[in-house]
Amino acid sequence: MKRLLLIHGAELAVFALLAAVPLAVANPYALGLLTLLAIYGILLIGLDVTVGYLGQINLGHVAFLGLGAYAAGICLTRFGLGLFPALGVATGVGILLGGLLALPALRLEGPQFALATLSFTALSFTFLNEMESLTGGAQGLSLTRPPLFGHDLTPRAFFWLCTVLLAFVWLTMRNLLHSQWGRAFEALRDSAIATDAMGIGAYRHKVAAFALGSGLGGLAGGLYAFNFQYLQPQSFVYDLMVILLLGVVLGGRKSLWGAFVGASIVVLLPNLLSNRHVFLAVSGLGFLLALGSGARGLVRKTTRPFQALAPVVAMGLLVVGGLLVKNTEDWRKAIFALMLFSVVVGLPEGLMGFAARALTRLFRVAPSPLPAPSPLDDVLPLRVADGSAFLELEDLKRHFGGVKAVDGLSMTVRSGQIHGLIGPNGSGKSTAVNVISGLYPPTSGRMRLRGRPLGTGSLYRAAQSGLARTFQNLQLFGELTALENVMVALKGVYRSPIPLVLLGLAKGEERRARADGLALLDLLGLKDQARTRAKDLTYGDQRFLEIARALARKPDLLILDEPAAGLAHPDVQRLIQTIRRIHQRGIAMILIEHHMDVVSELCTLVTVLDGGRVIAEGSPDEVKRHPKVVEAYLGQAGPGDAASEPA
Amino acid sequence: MNALIIGQLAVSGALMGLVYALIAYGFQLTYATSKSINFGQGELVMVSAFFSLTLLDLGVPYALMVPGGLIFGALLGLLVERTGVRLALEEKSEGWVLLTIILGLFFFSAAENIWGRDDRPFPTPLSQNPVQVFGIDITRMEISVAVGVFAIMGLIELFKRRTLLGKAFEAVSADRDAAELMGISATRTVMLSYGLSGAVAALAGILVSPITTVGPTMASAMILKAFSVAVVAGLDSGFGVVLIGMILGALEGLASFYIGSGWREAPGLVLLILALAVRPTGVFGKAGIRKV
Amino acid sequence: MLLVEDLHAGYGTSEVLTGLSLEVRAGTVVALIGANGAGKTTTMRAVSGALRPSRGRVVLDGRDVQGLDASRIARLGLAHAPEGRKVFGPLTVEDNLLLGAYARLPRFFGFRRRAKSDLDRIYELFPRLRERARQTAGTLSGGEQQMLAIGRALMANPKVMLLDEPSMGLAPVIVQEVFRTIRQLKEAGITLLLVEQFARSALEVADYAYVMERGRIAVHGTPAELHRDERVLSAYLG
Repeated sequence: MKRLLLIHGAELAVFALLAAVPLAVANPYALGLLTLLAIYGILLIGLDVTVGYLGQINLGHVAFLGLGAYAAGICLTRFGLGLFPALGVATGVGILLGGLLALPALRLEGPQFALATLSFTALSFTFLNEMESLTGGAQGLSLTRPPLFGHDLTPRAFFWLCTVLLAFVWLTMRNLLHSQWGRAFEALRDSAIATDAMGIGAYRHKVAAFALGSGLGGLAGGLYAFNFQYLQPQSFVYDLMVILLLGVVLGGRKSLWGAFVGASIVVLLPNLLSNRHVFLAVSGLGFLLALGSGARGLVRKTTRPFQALAPVVAMGLLVVGGLLVKNTEDWRKAIFALMLFSVVVGLPEGLMGFAARALTRLFRVAPSPLPAPSPLDDVLPLRVADGSAFLELEDLKRHFGGVKAVDGLSMTVRSGQIHGLIGPNGSGKSTAVNVISGLYPPTSGRMRLRGRPLGTGSLYRAAQSGLARTFQNLQLFGELTALENVMVALKGVYRSPIPLVLLGLAKGEERRARADGLALLDLLGLKDQARTRAKDLTYGDQRFLEIARALARKPDLLILDEPAAGLAHPDVQRLIQTIRRIHQRGIAMILIEHHMDVVSELCTLVTVLDGGRVIAEGSPDEVKRHPKVVEAYLGQAGPGDAASEPA
Repeated sequence: MNALIIGQLAVSGALMGLVYALIAYGFQLTYATSKSINFGQGELVMVSAFFSLTLLDLGVPYALMVPGGLIFGALLGLLVERTGVRLALEEKSEGWVLLTIILGLFFFSAAENIWGRDDRPFPTPLSQNPVQVFGIDITRMEISVAVGVFAIMGLIELFKRRTLLGKAFEAVSADRDAAELMGISATRTVMLSYGLSGAVAALAGILVSPITTVGPTMASAMILKAFSVAVVAGLDSGFGVVLIGMILGALEGLASFYIGSGWREAPGLVLLILALAVRPTGVFGKAGIRKV
Repeated sequence: MLLVEDLHAGYGTSEVLTGLSLEVRAGTVVALIGANGAGKTTTMRAVSGALRPSRGRVVLDGRDVQGLDASRIARLGLAHAPEGRKVFGPLTVEDNLLLGAYARLPRFFGFRRRAKSDLDRIYELFPRLRERARQTAGTLSGGEQQMLAIGRALMANPKVMLLDEPSMGLAPVIVQEVFRTIRQLKEAGITLLLVEQFARSALEVADYAYVMERGRIAVHGTPAELHRDERVLSAYLG
């Protein structure tokens, strides 16, 4: 409770303060800055969706600001639309073009994505500059702020409008980002493959997130147009983009507060540079801060020498330069660069990330309590296993170039069965599982689930049709907590449409999701680690969390890819018990495993692969004695050569 | 007549496109060793061009200015690697994208203040008389661009294929960890690649300056097109960037004539987005297999 | 020749090695066996510097190399043929071998001449590699890649060679060939630390063996001693 009070109290206080300023201050210049602060606040919240939550370097946001601004301006001057319709169009343009850009661009990763968005910025500048008949080209576009409900908007009223919109965006985005949507965005950043495999549809979520962020850019653009009442293509170029990125990174990624703080810095920076004394004071302070934190980091050995020294050098340059240079305005970009450099290197989590940690410690803010776990029967209902054919593979092949990783695999998994899949390294077990779960399309062959053809080549579709899997090389969402990992995958709980989520009317299902998630963690013995970040769990617990997350899909068929790999002996026992308990719920399983004792104890039927083909099938005891299996896999004390236990 | 105009535009454009290819090649060099590129590469081109101009102004002969400029470019490349890239690579983060942008911004501002904001002519020892080939005029400066681009790319490719250090370069690019086990220092290889990339950028600046003049913004349009070339061709193939660069340059020449000079950027950008939609790894790039 | 004392190492927050000690004497073959996940490969990586140990000492030929970069340790005379072979796929077989000797060859020109005798030695050991010298390594079969990985490590004339799971993913016949090679290396007096899942075969070539359990050494002794150990016999040689 204390936590909510603090957070909401702080939000309320800031907005009240912001709204009250014009009553006390009549200075039009200050009012202009505050209006710009609100507009940039919206803009940076939008940018933070891609940069913070998706973790992609987005250099196209400034284009959406410009396109939104021009869209609103043109609606107003050409078509005589009112204020809200024009803002609506601006937002729509952002969402639409954002979606269109994201469709190809988000298939790229890292630098290529940044390049693609950068090109989009250049293209939109060319468009605005050259479509003179529509945009007025380099001459610019003049417009007059339209009245609202028949009243002329004074600068003060317009400021209030922007503040209200910022508050609205803030609230809805907080609701969205704290819902399953926000978690899915973050999950995407940590492992796109696992997000797909959990039936979330990584690609479409990415596109949706990018479109959303761009829509906010468009909205900010509309407000920008009405604020300045004059638009020029030159305003929306790379330079501004760099400053916007500065705002997000400086403020702190993945944080609404960070976006707000970043916006204030972006707005105030130019003023800071115009006054020499203020500039010297700020740069001096920055230098001392860099010196202090660098020295602390070095002494405690939490930072590398470069990380500690580089900000000091950069800030030192700023101080010395500030004393030497006559006109700081001229060096504006270099000054931005030095400050940004110091923050990116020395304070990678941004001001708010830093502040949030400090404040949490200071107020000893307790996280909100966890609900009681739901009854397991509600989360994983018992199903009846009738032993009918469930998953049928027929002559399945997957070749990579000349390598026949899977070369004619036929097997049938029956409902309620634990089906073992064993074989030497490189025998094609993992490839087979990757084909079944949709990571690779098969080269040829048929797969049927419950008698119907199984969609191929898409993790997402396979997940949708009732398959869930774990990954041999863990694919957890490292930055999310154990509970959140499970909640991301949870199926059948989230039903509210997006508008309700945005308005914060979906809290009920959020509670339900927590309770259900806890029940699954409890099943795997992870209840006490619910709040631990996945990457901070022990290796064994990470393996169990993978299983819990897969179970959250409430699968008909669970594929376990070497769940015991790297587990110590007690954990292996725990694993066997757990798999038994899951089996009792009537879930069919494919178990890939190297530990023969695990396989013997659990599986009803075992298929043995070698060189991509089935060499034996039968009960664990049968295959253990099968001569081919002994030869290719288990080995025996042969005449002096390769033969031993498959460790 | 019309065919001649088209030919003229296409050839001049394609020769200009070689400069984009050269800059894009600079991206490939660093991408090969470290999967990172310098987003401030355009500023390296520009600052090196200014530096070379200053050398000429100081009376350094042309033949010495070129190596001087290249060494300066290489040093800048090393500076970028040390301050902007190494930490991020060590932490396996993508912080280098932001940091190289920031460094570019810094270089830009420094150049603006040191050399001024105006465009300045860059002298050339070549005569202004064009050479005629099949009725198409080709200036000697354009020829020097082609010669310079092919010479340095050829040299670097020879280095990569014929020297042990070059092979080490490719080994790091194939498998960084295994290369370390052979005693090849990956960090030094990355440094070397940034140095080479900086020298390549400097050469691009020296070659293009007599044609475009030197100014703080001289590279901002070029760099975008170099980005397009790199993404469309993929970040692996030197042959690819040359081909795509020339095609892009030719298209651009034609577009600015037929649609209007303001649109000259458009074909590259459209080509880029189309290429991404069809083949995200680039036309000549290697398609990777998703592994788990 | 190689001495490891109280080695701790791991990935992120999970510690895989919890105080491991072992010794490899000059001219001997030492086997390291144990279950999957016991930390054998982690040991190899921590010794060769591919993974930075958090605590402990690694001494190579009298010199403490703990905490140095992998490339530094390699130049000091430790060759590591890693798990999964890790040959340089796009480069030719010969280039792969040349890079194995990177530490002691001239960087620019004349390296081919200088490496000639070493190359011939490797080609004599693995005639198949000579046939494929101009082929890119990625096109070799798994067994040939393993030969190449061993050959590449030998090119360094190492003081100690680490050989990690050389039989992994190979057909039994090829595995036999790999073990024949290891025996040849032993006869040639190479100092070798061998990690192997085929424990029985590994013990046949080894002079001494360590059995790993959960990040540390559980038992060690000569192969004959281990064969007498009931527990080892049932758990690893069963």
